Amino acid sequence: MAAIPRGLTYKGIPLWRHTQVIQGALQVVSGLLVVTLVAWFFINISGAIRDRDIPYGFSFLSREYQTPIGQHFLPYESSDSFLYAFGVATTNTIVVSIMGVILATALGIFVGVSRMSGNWIVSKAALVYIEFFRNVPLLIQLFFWFYIVLSLPQVRQGHVIAERIYINNGGISLPWPYATSPDTGLLFIGLAVVAAIAGVVVHRAMTRREVMTGATSYPVALGIVTAVLISATCWLAITIASGNAPFYISTPEPQGIFARPAGGFTASGGLIALLTGLVIYTSSFIAEIVRAGIQSVGRGQTEAARSLGLQYMKTLRHVTFPQALRVIIPPLISQCLNLTKNSSLAAAIGYSDLTNVATTMTQTAPAVSIFILIMLAYLAMSLTYSLIGNLYNRRIRFS
Amino acid sequence: MLGWAHANLFSNRFNTALTIISSVILGAALWFGLQWLLLESDWSVIATLGGRMVIGPYNTEGACPGQNCFWRPQVALMLVTMLLGMGWVVAGGGLTKRIAIGVVVALAAFSLLPYSLDKMGMDVRLLLLANIPALALGWALARYTPLGTARWVAILAVGTFLVTLVLLRGVEGVPGLQPVSVNHWGGLMLNLLLAVAGITLCFPIGVALALGRRGNLPVVKLLCVVFIEVFRGVPLITLLFMSQTLVPLAFPENFPVNSLMRAAIVITLFSAAYMAENIRGGLQALHRGQAEAGQSLGLKNWQITLFITLPQAIRNVIPAIVGQFIALFKDTTLVFIIGMQDILTYSRAFIQGNPEFIANAQELFIFLAIVFWIFTYTMSSVSRRIEQNLGVGRR
Repeated sequence: MAAIPRGLTYKGIPLWRHTQVIQGALQVVSGLLVVTLVAWFFINISGAIRDRDIPYGFSFLSREYQTPIGQHFLPYESSDSFLYAFGVATTNTIVVSIMGVILATALGIFVGVSRMSGNWIVSKAALVYIEFFRNVPLLIQLFFWFYIVLSLPQVRQGHVIAERIYINNGGISLPWPYATSPDTGLLFIGLAVVAAIAGVVVHRAMTRREVMTGATSYPVALGIVTAVLISATCWLAITIASGNAPFYISTPEPQGIFARPAGGFTASGGLIALLTGLVIYTSSFIAEIVRAGIQSVGRGQTEAARSLGLQYMKTLRHVTFPQALRVIIPPLISQCLNLTKNSSLAAAIGYSDLTNVATTMTQTAPAVSIFILIMLAYLAMSLTYSLIGNLYNRRIRFS
Repeated sequence: MLGWAHANLFSNRFNTALTIISSVILGAALWFGLQWLLLESDWSVIATLGGRMVIGPYNTEGACPGQNCFWRPQVALMLVTMLLGMGWVVAGGGLTKRIAIGVVVALAAFSLLPYSLDKMGMDVRLLLLANIPALALGWALARYTPLGTARWVAILAVGTFLVTLVLLRGVEGVPGLQPVSVNHWGGLMLNLLLAVAGITLCFPIGVALALGRRGNLPVVKLLCVVFIEVFRGVPLITLLFMSQTLVPLAFPENFPVNSLMRAAIVITLFSAAYMAENIRGGLQALHRGQAEAGQSLGLKNWQITLFITLPQAIRNVIPAIVGQFIALFKDTTLVFIIGMQDILTYSRAFIQGNPEFIANAQELFIFLAIVFWIFTYTMSSVSRRIEQNLGVGRR
């Protein structure tokens, strides 16, 4: 070992060039900065609360909300509490997002596949659809559909189809099934879910049999027959046991001096416009995702399928699409989440979604608490989406 | 021709059926659309709104009492066309040239609109026409002076933005430049201002957040993750609303932040959170070998990031980044929730206030959709051009 020359003893890395020291200092400084900032905001907010007598806390949740909510899917009265009203508004958002996600995915896949079609007209029409609808602000599209509903004739001169469906500037009224009593209704829904699960089990068993033995086993038909048979039996059993069918169909009928259709289910103009706008807007994004997914599947796969004699649609259904799904699912989930968040634009067209009701609530309740509630609600929804996405993703990984 | 039709429209029975069905549907749509366009539609609402769609309530009596303020946005516009002229030279023609010429031709065409002179004065028309010499001036400046470099254009662009803000805001005590409250800024001008500010600022913030999230400092990483997830988890409209009700409480009274700045900050931070995720995607897709090669060359960490990984990561996600810019521009319409009069809110308020136009709301929204589409489509064309120039997918 060479001797260290006198006067040049090694003293270690100087502090200001020591990576760990620098990194530690950086972290401490940035952490302190943020903590100071947050503390400053907190002091200011609490000062403002004290000086200007701004209400705070969550005690308002049990108070009566005292404000009507336009369209709601849960029973709601103005005398219900803030908490319940918030729940009603959240349900409104969830209903719109579930319906929107299903419709937008279906439409998006349709448009995306059309974009990849070898047919020139279909492909170009899909291109125009995608390029137009995804480049125009959603809000403009929502207003467009909203004013179309508004320009429909008034209730008295409205369109009536088969004396059951009423279309006018108040929205669309349709016949709708309602539970005769909550108990039997819930019971039947529970049993129907069981029936559906049984159907899926049969479907799987029959598919396996078909794959293993090669004998034709009609998996889809048998699955559906099982589900329908079990539900029908349950329906009959409940009807005989309780004396009433679990559900009845309520038909809208004009009532009162304004001849507004009562009964059935009325989708307000806001709901129709919101759903139409969201579905068309989101489907244009989903179409691009689907196209990218299909393009990511190697040409060889398609060619192999075609040379095995599979037709175009069968190639798409059994070879291309299942492989494309791996690429499609993650961005698709994020689009569905976007759709849910975009449904907050309902505030502009008078549909009582979560954001709309919550912003109205800030007039009579503390804004800070409301904001925390909104964040929690949206956070829960986005976590649910990522959970579903992750579960699905795990299932379709290469196994 | 026949061969093309056979290959693309009638290659087999299925394809032929598809062609026939889609032609019938599209033909019907075209027929009814044309019928509506030629016989039923009435576009007078757009003519009536006219320039107010561009500047909103800026030049009204409430905003500019006893004065004409229309020239201030127009001068700002001329500065922008000058920049376009410089960009034309710096970019060496191509798409920039076409955009510059398109903008100036459109502006010159506006000056010839058949309005009566008291609705659209000679001064307005002349200032619109002045964009032609402005473009020429910018072109000449870049061509014949040392200002014709990308760096100078960038510096001048920032300068133009600041000058525009000062021009629009006005200066206390200067005759002709009396202050105009930001609450009276509106129309397309407001959308563009918010978009430009947001796009310029959200990119560096997004890069910083992405690097922080990817880095090996746990505290910084945690802060970045919390910031990104909070801003991505909540709809922008909620954040904007809270920026007006909650944020003022978090600052001392008389803190010099007005509603426009708050809106701009919220839109910027919101986009930055999304931008961070896009750039993180690009960084993740990059092969480790790139960073390792940098290390073996003896580069420091910041040099590796700045010169090796980041440029490649950004290049790989240009479509996503531009998509985010487009989303930001579209999102500027959401300021309706805080009562700012952007082009959409202002126009809609106009038809609400003038019920004779309510029946023509569709025409208005179609027109606005086309306006936005022109801007966003231009942005995506620019993105495609940048990708081509950088050779993405060919190297």
